[in-house]
Amino acid sequence: MFKLNKKQLISISAAAALSLGLTACMENAAPSSSSTAKKASIDGGVMYPVANGKTGPYYVNTNAHNQKIEYGRVPTEKEYEEWNSDVMADGTGLPEGEGSVEEGEEVYEAKCVMCHGDFGSGGGGYPSLSKGNAYELHETLTNQRIKPDMDGPVRVFGTYWPQASTLWWYIKDAMPHPMTDSLTDDEVYALVAYILNINEMEIDGQEVDDEYVLNREKFLKIKMPNKDGFEPNIAGPNGPENVRKYFSNPDNFGAVKVKPSERCMTNCQEPTAKVVYIQGAGISDFHPPLSEVRDLPKEENTGFDAPKAYEANCAMCHSADGMGAPVIGDKAAWAAVTAKGMDKVYSNGIHGINGMPPKGGADLSDANFKSIVDYIVSKSK
Amino acid sequence: MKTTDNLIKENIVDIKKSQQDLDSLDTKSSNVDRRDFLAKTAAIGVTALAGTSLLASDEAGEAAILEPQSWGTKWGDPVTKNLYGMPSKYEHNVTRRYTKLLASGNFRASIAVTPIQESSGIITPNGLFFSRSHGGVAHIDPNEHRLMITGLVEKPLVLTMKQLKRYPSVTRTHFIECPANGGQEWRGPQYNSLQFAKGFMSCAEWTGVYIKDILKDLGIKPEARWMLAEGGDSSKMGRTIPMEKVLDDAMIVWGQNGEALRPEQGYPIRLLVPGWEGNLCVKWLRRLDFASEPWYCKEETSKYTVLKPTGKAIQHFYANEVNSTVTSPSPEIDWTDLKDGDVVEIEGLAWSGMGTITGVDISFDGGKTYKEASLKGLVLPKCWTRWSYMHTYKKGEELLLTSRAMDDAGYIQPTIDQEILKVGVEAVYHRNAVETWKVEKDGKVTHVEVRSQLDRKPNGELVIEGKA
Repeated sequence: MFKLNKKQLISISAAAALSLGLTACMENAAPSSSSTAKKASIDGGVMYPVANGKTGPYYVNTNAHNQKIEYGRVPTEKEYEEWNSDVMADGTGLPEGEGSVEEGEEVYEAKCVMCHGDFGSGGGGYPSLSKGNAYELHETLTNQRIKPDMDGPVRVFGTYWPQASTLWWYIKDAMPHPMTDSLTDDEVYALVAYILNINEMEIDGQEVDDEYVLNREKFLKIKMPNKDGFEPNIAGPNGPENVRKYFSNPDNFGAVKVKPSERCMTNCQEPTAKVVYIQGAGISDFHPPLSEVRDLPKEENTGFDAPKAYEANCAMCHSADGMGAPVIGDKAAWAAVTAKGMDKVYSNGIHGINGMPPKGGADLSDANFKSIVDYIVSKSK
Repeated sequence: MKTTDNLIKENIVDIKKSQQDLDSLDTKSSNVDRRDFLAKTAAIGVTALAGTSLLASDEAGEAAILEPQSWGTKWGDPVTKNLYGMPSKYEHNVTRRYTKLLASGNFRASIAVTPIQESSGIITPNGLFFSRSHGGVAHIDPNEHRLMITGLVEKPLVLTMKQLKRYPSVTRTHFIECPANGGQEWRGPQYNSLQFAKGFMSCAEWTGVYIKDILKDLGIKPEARWMLAEGGDSSKMGRTIPMEKVLDDAMIVWGQNGEALRPEQGYPIRLLVPGWEGNLCVKWLRRLDFASEPWYCKEETSKYTVLKPTGKAIQHFYANEVNSTVTSPSPEIDWTDLKDGDVVEIEGLAWSGMGTITGVDISFDGGKTYKEASLKGLVLPKCWTRWSYMHTYKKGEELLLTSRAMDDAGYIQPTIDQEILKVGVEAVYHRNAVETWKVEKDGKVTHVEVRSQLDRKPNGELVIEGKA
């Protein structure tokens, strides 16, 4: 996020700056007394600074850690720009651009809906992007499912995320999931506008309606309903110290501290505490199924020759462009197909999809057909 | 009468003593010990020789002993085969496992968990180390991979993997735990499986470089308060780390249990933030950036935050807190084969991302009363620690086995009631309350929880229902 300053690079007063920086930061890490190698740290735990040539139980060659080492080189401006894609809460790193809700919906329908569902409803294990009005649903964050049939808190972008910058950055860098870093800045603005729209949000008092056009200036005015919903406060110069203070109080995070000699050894449960059992079968969809048996693995060779069957039944459409079918070996095309989940791919193939007849017109069992699909997918990774 | 185990222990102590005292004239006491031990082992030897009369039966016996096996009479493989060794085929059930519940549709943003019911000691083999990714497991060419360090440093830097490995190396044994370990069970037990209830973690010996050793020559600016660590995989996973940790024990690692990281663990390099959320240990690491403000990455806002009953969520919840579990018995490997009166070892793991394990207690009544268990083996900071308790099994007994660990930061595992009264049941992450296995009358083991029903006051505060 920081621009390289070439002048700065040339006049590196490394030693001075280094001692300054490290001293400032290491002050907290210094042991309170040299004999005890423990001190409360930012996470509420203990640190083991190097003392007498050891850190905790580990020996340290202290001489190895105070040498001046000058491996590597300074990155070029272009290299830096290429990787420096983060977007910070204050807008640092956010490029200019614009996109409308309408354009966003188009991109969404083309590249996102297969996973995130209609209007961001989610499904198939993929995250929901909206559950409705963000401001109303923000109120659900105090919900606790302490009894059956109670509603839980709604944690989606509109109701939960503290910063909109996270959404822009994440879409740009990590979406669409099978083909990341493929959207233009304008497309990202459009998708963000669409996601604000389905969360029924407003910017600067104006509803992000179907006609809305988002740009950088408007983006920076987005105020997330849950902006102040997180603790400790990490922003500003006191951020790290706020964190240290927060984790120095076990009550804040559900922890218990006790002197070992005073720990509970009898009557340590509430009289109301009962044994609670797994409801029904619980979660038992384990792959491979649980087993402690020592035996030889089952032979996986079913005798069916998938490559041969592929050549006989499928190659005419799937081995050449222009047939409208995803071509074997085309990584991007098959990544998009398999992004729906393999169950969907099998089912589409078995029942037929677009121009493809059921099982491509071949007379094959479901199991054998699936193994051909597996073969094509494995050849397209 | 001393057990063989004790004798062996004494013998080990004795040998150590005699080595230490080699130059000392005062070896009298250890010599006495050794004579004592030799006398006892001699006695056992005599019993063994004379003991042929004790052989029990006229029956033929087991084929495993009586029949010659092919592996005992024929050539094995030449050393030229399996130049990279694999486990015995008979161990194929000792494997990572996954469930569709924990997957975003296509298993690229998902997790496969470690069979800790089968783990021994404190090291997880690399092939069984739990695997979590957000965009699939990347397969990176190390020759084409770079680490870039930028932001509030006087001298930004690019390193090749070869250059990175030239830095003075550090080797440490630490667990890595996903903070969602046990996170599906805030509202009640769900998995009748140790692998799924506690296997979102593993432990390994890591080799790499302290980040502070690289930074000391780059001139970190005083206003730098946070570091962004970002992966080079398709998800560009990023997390914000405070400078204190960066300058304490945070490492960039390339070695795992004596070999290169596996692709599932971020080959060629990953961040290692000892004791902290596994998610912070960014895999396929390619960029470190320094700033005065934190970043608000997706995986530190939308996820990996702990929503409390107040409606506020804990962010930057770094350390995995003190925790433990019984690993033997487990729902997977139970006690149905035990006979009445069998002496059996109850074994478990304890770990804390906040420090070093100082003790473990064991309860047979679901955490009402506790007895002290023994730690065993190496006890290292932010590392798996083994503990043990010997038990004489009574056929038909019902037990509620609960373990409870403490660390040198002063923390002890809370009861479920203590933890949920404070953070509620919607936290998802950082659940470290005590865990209970019920040993049924037939020796089967089921996962249960010992907890009270919660109620809510009009002001939203959680209370125990029916508590005076």
